[in-house]
Amino acid sequence: MIVVPCPNCGPRNSSDLRNAGELVSRPDPDTASLTEWRSYLYLRENPAGWVTETWYCRTGCRRYFTIERNTATNEIRDSENS
Amino acid sequence: MSSNRLPIRGGELLDRSTNLSFTWNGRAYSGHEGDTIASALAAAGVEIFSRGMKYHRRRGILTANHWDPNLSVQVGDEPNVRAGSRRLVDGMQVSAQNVWPSLRWDLGAVNRLVGRYLSAGFYYKTFMRPQFLWHNLYQRVLRKFAPGGRVHWKTGTHGEYDKRYAHPDVLVAGGGPAGMAAALSAAEAGASVMLVEQEPELGGHLRWGGPDDLAVLADLNRAVHSTPGIEVLCDSIVTGRYDHNWVAVVQRNHEIAPERLIKARVGSLIVAPGLVERPYVFAGNDLPGVMLAGAVRRLINLWAVKPGNRAVVLSANSEGDAAVADLESAGVEVVAVLDARAGEDVVGARGRGRVTSVQTGDGRTLKADLLVTATGWTAPTSLLNMAGDRPVYDRIAARYFPQSLPDNVLVTGGIAGDGSTTELTAHGRETGSLAAQRALRLRHDRLTQTPRSATPDSALPAAIADNRIPLRRSPHPECYRSTTHGLVDYSEDVSSKDLIQATGEGFDSIELMKRYTTVTMGPGQGKLETVNAAAVLAEARAVEMADIGTTVWRPPFSPVSLGALAGRIFEPVRRSALQNWHETNGATNLLAGQWVRPDHYGDPMTEASNVRENVGIIDVTPLGKLDLRGPDVANLLDLVYVNRWQKLEVGRVRYGAMVAEDGVVSDDGVTGRLADSHYLMTTTSSGAAAVWEMLEDWLQTYRPDWEVHVTPVTGGLTSINVAGPRSRELLERLVENVDLSAGAFPYFSVRTGTVSGVQDCIIWRIGFTGELSYELHVPSGHALHVWESLLSNGSDLGVAPFGIEAQRILRLEKGHYIVGQDTDGLSKASTAGLGGLVKLDKADTIGLPELRAAFERTDLPVLVGLQPDDPMIVPDEACQIVEAGSNEILGRVTSSRMSPTLGRSVCLAQVDPSLASAGTAVTVQLVDGRRITATVQEHHAHVDPEGARQRV
Amino acid sequence: MSRHGYRYSAGKLLRHGLTRGAWPRMWNRPERRDSYDVVIIGGGLHGLATAYYLAQNHGITNVAVVDKGYLGGGGSGRNTAIVRSNYLTPEGVAFYDRSLHLYNTMAADLNLNVMLSRRGHLTLAHTDSALRTMNWRAEVNKLLDIDSAVIGPAEVKRLTPSLDVSPNTRYPILGALYHPPGGIVRHDAVVWGYARAADHLGVHLLQETEVLDIICDGGDGPDGKGPGGRVTGVRTSRGDISSPVVVNCTAGWASLISNMAGVPLAITTHPLQAAVTEPCKVFLPTVVVSGSLHVYVSQTDRGELVFGASVDPVGTYRVNGTLEFTEELAGHVLELMPGISKMRLMRQWSGLCDMTPDYSPIMGHTPVEGYLVDVGWGTYGFKAGPVAGETMAETIATGRTAELIAAFTIDRFTDGDLVGEKGAAAVGH
Repeated sequence: MIVVPCPNCGPRNSSDLRNAGELVSRPDPDTASLTEWRSYLYLRENPAGWVTETWYCRTGCRRYFTIERNTATNEIRDSENS
Repeated sequence: MSSNRLPIRGGELLDRSTNLSFTWNGRAYSGHEGDTIASALAAAGVEIFSRGMKYHRRRGILTANHWDPNLSVQVGDEPNVRAGSRRLVDGMQVSAQNVWPSLRWDLGAVNRLVGRYLSAGFYYKTFMRPQFLWHNLYQRVLRKFAPGGRVHWKTGTHGEYDKRYAHPDVLVAGGGPAGMAAALSAAEAGASVMLVEQEPELGGHLRWGGPDDLAVLADLNRAVHSTPGIEVLCDSIVTGRYDHNWVAVVQRNHEIAPERLIKARVGSLIVAPGLVERPYVFAGNDLPGVMLAGAVRRLINLWAVKPGNRAVVLSANSEGDAAVADLESAGVEVVAVLDARAGEDVVGARGRGRVTSVQTGDGRTLKADLLVTATGWTAPTSLLNMAGDRPVYDRIAARYFPQSLPDNVLVTGGIAGDGSTTELTAHGRETGSLAAQRALRLRHDRLTQTPRSATPDSALPAAIADNRIPLRRSPHPECYRSTTHGLVDYSEDVSSKDLIQATGEGFDSIELMKRYTTVTMGPGQGKLETVNAAAVLAEARAVEMADIGTTVWRPPFSPVSLGALAGRIFEPVRRSALQNWHETNGATNLLAGQWVRPDHYGDPMTEASNVRENVGIIDVTPLGKLDLRGPDVANLLDLVYVNRWQKLEVGRVRYGAMVAEDGVVSDDGVTGRLADSHYLMTTTSSGAAAVWEMLEDWLQTYRPDWEVHVTPVTGGLTSINVAGPRSRELLERLVENVDLSAGAFPYFSVRTGTVSGVQDCIIWRIGFTGELSYELHVPSGHALHVWESLLSNGSDLGVAPFGIEAQRILRLEKGHYIVGQDTDGLSKASTAGLGGLVKLDKADTIGLPELRAAFERTDLPVLVGLQPDDPMIVPDEACQIVEAGSNEILGRVTSSRMSPTLGRSVCLAQVDPSLASAGTAVTVQLVDGRRITATVQEHHAHVDPEGARQRV
Repeated sequence: MSRHGYRYSAGKLLRHGLTRGAWPRMWNRPERRDSYDVVIIGGGLHGLATAYYLAQNHGITNVAVVDKGYLGGGGSGRNTAIVRSNYLTPEGVAFYDRSLHLYNTMAADLNLNVMLSRRGHLTLAHTDSALRTMNWRAEVNKLLDIDSAVIGPAEVKRLTPSLDVSPNTRYPILGALYHPPGGIVRHDAVVWGYARAADHLGVHLLQETEVLDIICDGGDGPDGKGPGGRVTGVRTSRGDISSPVVVNCTAGWASLISNMAGVPLAITTHPLQAAVTEPCKVFLPTVVVSGSLHVYVSQTDRGELVFGASVDPVGTYRVNGTLEFTEELAGHVLELMPGISKMRLMRQWSGLCDMTPDYSPIMGHTPVEGYLVDVGWGTYGFKAGPVAGETMAETIATGRTAELIAAFTIDRFTDGDLVGEKGAAAVGH
């Protein structure tokens, strides 16, 4: 059970939150080509190392926030995007 | 029954004033408080406790502790109990496992006759043909030989297990002298400490030491128990260390729960498990009467059991030397002491059922009934493995040592090195201080990081360097295997010969060898075996031990009952405020997701007909309900629904469908505008939470500039659908301040009013059932009153409750699809027939490019109304639509019911687009294999496709 | 000598037992060549099976299988060894049925007893919607001639007496999808069987050889990688190896390897955890799966209960496991079998799963010529191993995508034609 630091609620057990996966940027849906759109839908970096990802404070403040987590060690650090 | 009980020993654990009765294989025995099952039996002269797994050779005490592979017994309905550590309880019924017909006369022993053919992996090399025999005979026989005790699955119950959370600054795993000292100094430094010891009492090896050791132990015990801030948990095992120092402790001495799982978020974990003595590999090393030095010392000093009469001791270390002294003090004749440090050796033990002679390396044969070996130590590094460490082998000390540990895991005691008791406790104290200081810094950090928590009242403790004086590594001879072959793994019956064979066959890495021979895969998980196995592999490959590595020790450190892991089973169901009423009024329940709700009240067909003819009421509370407020709600709705929302007027409701970003239909429902900036959204019952989270996601991460507040009100509002031609008449008797007439309150409108005296009820006119109907959303505290008022005020109108099944019939008659039933994980909006709803010219909506793409395709399946040509046949849901002359699948029935209104079967089906036009005849294969024909209908709706009934 | 080397038999067991003669090696540790016709990355079941069928079915033997560790050290040795073919989609059924067929004859084909136990596979339904999905699978299965049917609670109880089928439990057992040919296999033996046979046919098994890069030429991306280019070899911890064909069979590490060729994948890596109890006398005759409870369980011939679950919700390359997995698992198992609470969990472990959005694999050619993938196996790679090897070998040897894997090609993510297994695969065992 890793500890995830919610910016509102402080460090919490990860079971209090939900991992919403790697942060991806959404193309403009009105102008994006299908290829661009499907890259956004399906393709993931999936690195064995630092990844910027979104968490949802499911049982606490209900905030979505991003952190950086090392998928090889589960170390966590603040994200510049949070 | 001979007695091996010695006169009172200075450090014995026994309370000789007690007398505990128990049975062993049906015979009555007795022991004292403080005895283990094994010590009580050994005191009574029992020598054989089990049989080997493969060859069913007799087995006696080897280590006399928790890890003894020969002491797994059945106690009542509990299998695989460690008789070497489990304390005796009055009335225990203990029996041997995996023997037939008895421990003494075990038929499985015939395997010894064919033992030479049962080499490592023998089963992979035979029984390939004929396959018939493998499936029907060989495999069944193999399964009969499965080891272990019996699980009483017929009569067993889950039991009263429990869990606890803890947040100690420092957790010390191991209550020997170093661990006790560490706990003391950590507590003195201001840390909260949990000290966990596997045995029922603290002290580790001091317990079976001499008077000096016992005096040190008494001092430590006094200090530990008088120092505030130390919680002592004995008879408890630290079973795992997981990421971020999440530590599992199984507490066995709880007064109520047989086992309690403690989950601790630990600042610093101190690992101080001591060392596990390892057996020596030689011919006959599994004969009863071959014991480790620690075993005889424990038997003599803790339990006053005389382990034999004539002993040979092979000693490579001080533990062996001390065993000699203990044996002599217990009146055991020590025939010979072989000093491994001087190159002396044992090459074999012989005997039938018990050791009778010992062969020495220099060719002597000594008559003895006890052979004691002290050949070295295994560092039980499980918790360190779990913390990412790969311990390294030190050939001088002949054991493994930790290599690199995270800051929040520290080691002390024997696992860290050797020393006198004074040196070990000194190292423990330094480790405790360091651990406390690191943990206190962590606690300080955590408090400062937590918004709104109390600010720490002290400054951040200064970081201190790790200046501990390391414990030394005393030289120890590398004693693994003698010149003969013997067992490496007692619980798996794997010999050194098997390992060498496996190496020769290509299984020449430790992991491959383990998998092929099953060495270290038994209940002890390699506590005794791993190092010897690595040594034999190194020998076979002629490489250094250090180059072999070891298998990775996985959690748990010691097996944990499923009951303890499960704890109290806590899987709540959600109930509407009316559920008690339903249950006292004959409802048959249905579990739907988290909710329990009425399926029907006796006869769903009648319930459905009553809705068509009179009026029915149904509790639809699980319908997801979200209260949306703010100036930008319409923008949000435009984003998340496929249709348009900007022009929805106050007092109106609208149907909306959602797709995900991949264009797959994800949810649907009705949303109404209650006031200028106030809407109520409904979702599917199963989608309620997901839709809520999704709205928050879009609002927070995509359009934080939009002003919308989302509040889930699913349980706060009890939802009652009043449906049927007389629903208006019924409601007119109860609703006070809303004009219900068709002109004033048209279809797809919403009003807020007072129902049966309950204010602020939201009423909307929609028609899932296809009838004139009103959905009431009532504050849940008043729901029962409203429900009962509806029933009592409408008895002359024929009002009756209806359940989910009737609703399903009605909606299917009406052709309303259900997301997830009539659609699936690939269904696009075009499949669901949403062509008229979707607005593709919006600049932004979820899944927009996929929506556009889907409507350009002509090959996607189409949802259609379908009627079997034989009106009495109801094809089961999921029946496949096939090509008439083949098994090619062209679609499937997604919903089907007998329609009480039409007196015929009705269906919804997904079909290939080539079959989608009205009037097309399709072939449906029934569950029993028969094929029937059915006809595609013009509309989804079978009843009232024009909607005349609901618009009155 | 048989075509697979030293022939095992009961007679050989007798002879070795009598003479105490040494058994020959199952496979060698060869010196690597500088160049091969095909280099397969990943010495697990998929890589070894691909190599075996290349040699056996197509006569292509100048093949190397490279692995950074030991044979079968990844998912092949960490799965729960279940085989079945009762999938939801026709393409899934056809594919896994071929695999089950290969498993059925494997012991004889490879001359190694892989201990296939066709003991019957039960997928429990606890809700009426789950029951509907079971019906759907059963109906599709029947049309494709798969032995599969939905049975009621009484029949479930008859087949597996230790299950609690009483109606008033939190998760009542309303029925089950029963698949008699489903069962378990000794997973390691399958790996060894293919390794031994491939080795004998001339394939080089290069253990402890880590691939550091894939060498490409002519592609759109940096270093000639990416679409439009072609593969020329691999850089390993033991030097460069040239090869016109490089196959990625690396499961949980698939993204990392594929990025070396400039081909991003629709994959995220999640751990799948499993656990085993101490042995007890055998009492569980079938393989039992509950999708709603995220658990599957079977009892080995050694008496251990083997448990699996669904993948961890948080993606990671860590395989050290979690406590919460064992807690949930135990709770759910005891929902199904309340009488076994005194059994003890002995070991937990985890493996890495390469999850795709549609719970189906990604197989065959890629936009980089000569670089093929056999990835995206998620939680069902073991049961697919034989047929994946057979079809990948065919695809490599003929240059054309084998028919059985046409639905699984990498283009489906750009074309938007995903496979429909997702509905049935929440817990796909």
